Amino acid sequence: MNDRLAIYSEMAQENSWLSILPEISLGVLALLLLVLEMTLPKERQGLILRLALFGQVVILLAGVVFSSLFGVATEHTSFNGLLMHSVRGDVMRLFFLLCSLLVCHLGHQYASRRGLPQVEFIHLVLIVTAGLMLLAQSHNFILLFVALETVTVGFYILVSYSRGSLYSLEAGLKYLILGAFSSAILLFGIVLLYGAGGNPQLPGSSGDPMNFALLGSFIEANPDNILVLAGTVLVLCGVAFKIGAVPFQIWIPDVYQGAPIPVTAFLAVASKAGGFIVLIILVQGPFAPLERVLVPMLGAIAILTILFGNLGALSQKNVKRLMGLSGIAHAGYMLLGIVASFQVPWAANAVVFYLFTYLLASFAIFGVMNNMGPLEDGDMTLDDFKDLARKNPYNAAVLAIGLGSLAGIPPLAGFIGKLLIFIAAFKAGLYGLLGVAVIGVVLSIYYYFGWILEVYFWPSLVKAESEETIEPSGPGLIPAANSHRIVLGCLTAGTLILGFYQGALSYLL
Amino acid sequence: MEDILFYIFAAGTLLSAFLMVASRNPVNSAMFLIVSFVGIAALFVMLESYFLAVIQVLVYAGAVVVLFLFIIMLLDVEDSDKIRPKIFTIVAGGLAFALLAIGVLGLFASGAGGPEPELPMRTAASLSRNFGYQLFTKYMLPFQMIGFLLLAAMVGVIYISKKGPTASSDEPEKE
Repeated sequence: MNDRLAIYSEMAQENSWLSILPEISLGVLALLLLVLEMTLPKERQGLILRLALFGQVVILLAGVVFSSLFGVATEHTSFNGLLMHSVRGDVMRLFFLLCSLLVCHLGHQYASRRGLPQVEFIHLVLIVTAGLMLLAQSHNFILLFVALETVTVGFYILVSYSRGSLYSLEAGLKYLILGAFSSAILLFGIVLLYGAGGNPQLPGSSGDPMNFALLGSFIEANPDNILVLAGTVLVLCGVAFKIGAVPFQIWIPDVYQGAPIPVTAFLAVASKAGGFIVLIILVQGPFAPLERVLVPMLGAIAILTILFGNLGALSQKNVKRLMGLSGIAHAGYMLLGIVASFQVPWAANAVVFYLFTYLLASFAIFGVMNNMGPLEDGDMTLDDFKDLARKNPYNAAVLAIGLGSLAGIPPLAGFIGKLLIFIAAFKAGLYGLLGVAVIGVVLSIYYYFGWILEVYFWPSLVKAESEETIEPSGPGLIPAANSHRIVLGCLTAGTLILGFYQGALSYLL
Repeated sequence: MEDILFYIFAAGTLLSAFLMVASRNPVNSAMFLIVSFVGIAALFVMLESYFLAVIQVLVYAGAVVVLFLFIIMLLDVEDSDKIRPKIFTIVAGGLAFALLAIGVLGLFASGAGGPEPELPMRTAASLSRNFGYQLFTKYMLPFQMIGFLLLAAMVGVIYISKKGPTASSDEPEKE
């Protein structure tokens, strides 16, 4: 009995809580917000929001300074192999922190315009972010599943946050049912892998097949085991739901349309990035020996995803559905990078770079959307953006640069992101996939530029049809605070700078 | 003897699970769910996982289904009898079932799902102590995270269900 206790106390020693200090700080901050909301008097509630934003900035800066980016980067595990600390994991932690900061900013603006409570929103965003950050470092299926569920449960609530709106509640219900379904598929896959990997009759089995390293060596020893193949496919199906890849994309337009704008942005960027980082961890880790099966499977999914997203977005007038469908297409391009990463190892880093460009462009666009339009944002269409260039040139410019980056126009960051992935695919010899992706990009230029056309050339479009001048009749812009202008400016500047100079992220490659 | 018991409990679990889905009355569905859970608990007992069996009955058959029943009674669903599945749904469901059945049969035909020899037990799953040790040492981090998960769920439920001034005044009619 005593020697067993010794083993357990050794296990407890491995729990190096300091290495996940950013996540713990986020959790503590989230709890602090709830306590302060109860104790502070009404007139001082504004303090809570400042504390939340300030706390996140501090965590982000501390994360940059103390991250492994500047030190000697060594991959090591902690928490008995539950977590794997790597440079990519640290980069993604900063990515999610940045997302959380932007979402809190947008959410503050959104909620104060509509009179929704704000503290609960930020509380949930913080918990979801902590979950995403742990997801990016997971090295064990149990931790992966718990982190994923923390993220998903938070999103169920955030999607239906605007609870006076029927769209929002409907979106929340749809996301809840389909999310639970996908979690069940993922769990079933994990169980199959666990059952196969723990079978002592098979070579390479281990006592802890949940661990990615041990599972990887088991799969390498039995690449043809039926249970392993079935489990792998089911796990990847669960992940495909998160990134919105065909055939698990069906929820995206409805949920994106119904969710409040900040949450749509959070879903589009952070939830998708979470899915992709899990995919990278799995494909480069335990599932690497299954290349023979995974390359055709993921390749087919990538083709379908690119085509579905772009074709669906072509005729879309509702801007949030448009962003959702074009987001599916972006997921397809990134899947192309994942497929290429079997041959070209740096392709996974190209996907991470792509995620950063996607973050900058998407948050800029959603920020502009947040600035305008009717209170019921589920109905916002391209018509609401008519003649924005004359009404508010600053927002129009931000929107145009963001859309241009998503479309992949040369001087902008989105172009470099796409270029890196396409080069990787070319080097990996995926010519067919590359052709489909290029067709997808050409299609996407049509609908992105249609949007820009509405913003800049609306008067001339109308004049061509009838000679009388028609005043745009959409609801006006809301005068935005200076802080919002600064945030939008920073995002746009980031898009421009990353387009010309990628040195800051070149260590990834 | 053990084989016969296994088949009885497995058949009972599957049958009640099917009846749960097929039943028109939601209260009946919840009752069939209990039967199904108890059947699973019996299967756990046969695997000598007594602790899991007890948890299965206490948490699932007890707490969770009682919660379901509360909600069903609160909602007072009356029209559920009139909701009939569409032809398309039935065809799609049948097709999915056929595909799955082909997959499982293929698994058996290839021999991969065939009978495996009995394996020695690694750790006695009947002792709750073993779960406790693991939970508070190796899996401490996920354990703490579940705390935050439940907190987030609780905050969300209170937020969404509480009465108060609804924010948006221009609520649209959903088409």
